[in-house]
Amino acid sequence: MSVAAPRFYFEDVVLQGVLETPAMTVTEAHVALYAGLTGDAAHEHGLVPDLLPLCLTTGLGWRVPQPPLAVLAFMGFEWMVDSPLRVGDTIHSRSKTTLKRSMKEGGVIIEERQVINQRGEVVQHGKFTFLVAKRPA
Amino acid sequence: MADARRYFDDIQVGEEYESPGRTVTEADIVLFAGLSGDYNVLHTDAEFMKQSIFGERIAHGLLGLAIQAGLFTRATQGFATLAFVGLRWKFKGPIKIGDTIRLRAKVAAKQETSKPDRGLVTVERTVVNQRGEVVQEGETDLMVERRRA
Repeated sequence: MSVAAPRFYFEDVVLQGVLETPAMTVTEAHVALYAGLTGDAAHEHGLVPDLLPLCLTTGLGWRVPQPPLAVLAFMGFEWMVDSPLRVGDTIHSRSKTTLKRSMKEGGVIIEERQVINQRGEVVQHGKFTFLVAKRPA
Repeated sequence: MADARRYFDDIQVGEEYESPGRTVTEADIVLFAGLSGDYNVLHTDAEFMKQSIFGERIAHGLLGLAIQAGLFTRATQGFATLAFVGLRWKFKGPIKIGDTIRLRAKVAAKQETSKPDRGLVTVERTVVNQRGEVVQEGETDLMVERRRA
């Protein structure tokens, strides 16, 4: 017998439910790997490239006590950088679903996300729009 | 050595840039999954994705975003950027393994700020594939240094 990996469908998403991820320390190795892969670098040595924390939060989002969201498409997002992050800083993210709209095929959800440093300061924040699958009948 | 960076004062609204192309490979996607920890089946399970509307694995949307940020540095002389302020972004279509993407960028607006040593530059960006289809588009706001008087 095989059991399919659990997924979190549109119907499972709780409006205003807050999810907090574990934290991770952003190292020189992350910065070097990211720079080599993308060609994007920080404006100044010792700083973390601004888009890297955003990328790391997507992985952190998998490390919560809830199955992964059944994303059909990542439609878009808005993002603000509030303050720079330095190599050695430790980040985690906090997210909350603020809108759920049922569509014919799946549903749209808007998730607000914050990246928070080791001092509890919000260093980046924004809003993501996802198209999410409905539970198969 | 002369400072080759372009300051707020040098940048003109309406300037356009086009980057070289970059072919997005399976290795790029695997590395990005490893770096970010985002192992979503969309990017990592070839068999599952055969049954999807895409027919195959696709690149992470944020990988495309990060690659265009790298391509921007190859599209024009570097700006004297002090900070990346924010962005508004749409994912219009998939980037598949073997697709070649390039960045088309245009300076959409310049705005002075309360601080006399810097200004806000808004750049419109379009990421197109080898067929000229727009796969991602959006605007980024950069805080750029002004020349000292």
